[in-house]
Amino acid sequence: MKKFWRCFICNDIHYGLNPPEICPTCLARNAYVEISSREAGKIMGAGGTTVTRVEFRRAIHEFTEKNEFEVNPDREKVEMLLDGLFANEKNHGLKYCPCRLASGDFAEDLKLVCPCNFFIHETYKNKKDGECWCGLFARRKK
Amino acid sequence: MSKLIMFYARECPHCKAMMPHVEKLETQEKISFEKLEVWHNEKNADLMRSYRPVIAPNCGGQLRTPTFFNPETSDVLCGEVPYEKLKEWALKQK
Repeated sequence: MKKFWRCFICNDIHYGLNPPEICPTCLARNAYVEISSREAGKIMGAGGTTVTRVEFRRAIHEFTEKNEFEVNPDREKVEMLLDGLFANEKNHGLKYCPCRLASGDFAEDLKLVCPCNFFIHETYKNKKDGECWCGLFARRKK
Repeated sequence: MSKLIMFYARECPHCKAMMPHVEKLETQEKISFEKLEVWHNEKNADLMRSYRPVIAPNCGGQLRTPTFFNPETSDVLCGEVPYEKLKEWALKQK
């Protein structure tokens, strides 16, 4: 089961089975200590940061830059999906995929948060023109 | 004719793409679908979730939209499909 870990030097938060050996932010070695989800939530929510639509659009473009996929060139489709992602974040707490319904099991539903692990989707895996289920990401044309 | 349901989501491009097919079927074949939006209507979402045991195995283990569903027979068709495929599925439900 995944746990929350905090770097005692710079307060970086890591969510995973094990803590990183080296903190990716301050490079301290063996600096992570296990903490509660409540503590992690307080630290991560301390700034009350939000990601605007413009920032999210930039983030997903940067996310794709060094990958084999890109943000779908179909701008109309992308805008519709962004409408859904932000509506879901507002109404349901996270940017759940607009094309799949959350089950109500929080851990299970984390798989629906965009970007999801679409490498395993049959709509993407081993497909020349593969897309994630909703179509926000598409295999880059060569 | 069994009651047929189309579970869809307002901001799902696949659902949007399927709507003209559904309307064409309704007009030409007199088959009607109860269209239930699931991300903005909790009652519809709960209904779709209640069918999870029969829908999910046919939709990659998840509740995907669009999903076409016959509650009487538990027959399922999910995703964006060509008109002919939807028509074949719908006519089979008659």
